[in-house]
Amino acid sequence: MLDTSIQGPLGGRELSRRDFLKFCSLMAGVLALPRSYAKKFEKALAAPQRTPVVWLEFQDCAGCTEALLRASRPTVAELVLDILSVDYHETIMAASGKRAEEAKKATVEQGGYLLIVEGSIPAAEDGIYCCIGGRTALDILDEAASNALAVIAVGSCATFGGIPKASPNPTGAVSVMDLVTDKPVLNLPGCPYNPVNLTATVVHFLTFGELPAMDDLHRPLFAYGALIHDNCERRGHFNAGEFVEAWGDEGHRKGWCLYKMGCKGPVTYHNCPAVRYNDGTNWPIGSGHGCIGCSEPDFWELGVYNHAELHRFTPPETYAPVYPPEQKIAPASAALMGGLAGLAVGAAGVAAYNALTKPEQEDESGDSPETES
Amino acid sequence: MTRIAIDPITRIEGHLRIEVQIEDGVVTDAWASSTMFRGIELILKGRDPREAWAITQRI
Repeated sequence: MLDTSIQGPLGGRELSRRDFLKFCSLMAGVLALPRSYAKKFEKALAAPQRTPVVWLEFQDCAGCTEALLRASRPTVAELVLDILSVDYHETIMAASGKRAEEAKKATVEQGGYLLIVEGSIPAAEDGIYCCIGGRTALDILDEAASNALAVIAVGSCATFGGIPKASPNPTGAVSVMDLVTDKPVLNLPGCPYNPVNLTATVVHFLTFGELPAMDDLHRPLFAYGALIHDNCERRGHFNAGEFVEAWGDEGHRKGWCLYKMGCKGPVTYHNCPAVRYNDGTNWPIGSGHGCIGCSEPDFWELGVYNHAELHRFTPPETYAPVYPPEQKIAPASAALMGGLAGLAVGAAGVAAYNALTKPEQEDESGDSPETES
Repeated sequence: MTRIAIDPITRIEGHLRIEVQIEDGVVTDAWASSTMFRGIELILKGRDPREAWAITQRI
């Protein structure tokens, strides 16, 4: 008999072997590993022992939880929940109150779990701005991190402080890596983060026994190694100097570059152009709004509609400049320019001078500039 | 008189604590507390109004 089911923790699911292998290939793709790694993932994920997870929520909007749960493809959210044993997660667990806290305590005492944190931690006034079960977030994180295999911070709040830390930071919000210094911490920023990247991180951890390679902000390189700008589908328009100048204008309708509308793509590292959101349906730039830079620290201080500071990229000067000069050329300076050009290249310069100083009516009357040269 | 506190209330978005006072099997009083504060209003103050949607949609 042909065996089409997946053994181990996935055995009870209506998931074909083909779908499972497709998932393993997807994960190899997200992690930028050769497809041959799919075999290794298959072996690691089919292991009967499920890794426990404690998912803590502090100053959050539950948007990161939603991002995971709203994924409709079983290949992302359901597999995470099947491969792992989620022992504590306020938004989805059945138990509440004392029983919920006891479940967490048991897992923490046993150790060997992954700790996932969503939301920032208020440090002002001894942490009174976020209390769960009568204890402060500071206290809860300290205890939960003490026995964890690794800590994964999801979303902009847990990774860099996010909205709660936005000026004037009323509650003294800090990030997970500000507080947890004796455990490996991996950051998956984004508002919300992309659940595909969490799944890939977990698959990497279960297969290789360690967190994937990270940058200096603890972000995995497979997801945050490239600028949005470099993989943006509208990059060609940036290079050609074709910019949206106002919402709904001709350029906006044609899908031109959103840089001048405040897009932070040139200063933001994330794999949105490749993985997209809502099961790969679309992403902010694809829907016609600029990137707000949500995977970078303190992006709320940049101003959603302010221009990003360009360092490495400027459109070629042979095309229209990013900021066209707003003032018209004064007749006197035009004459000077024409004169200088004339001195330099002779007759051609004179022609340019004539073209610059000629009133518009004459152009329309059919006079050809060539006749004057 | 018994007083019961359920904290956290799960399967909701956000953090909630419920306390109830019970006398002879009847709830005589109850208190609900939202146990997390971020100060979104304070953060919105003085900002570019065009950013308000981006911040408030994340409450």
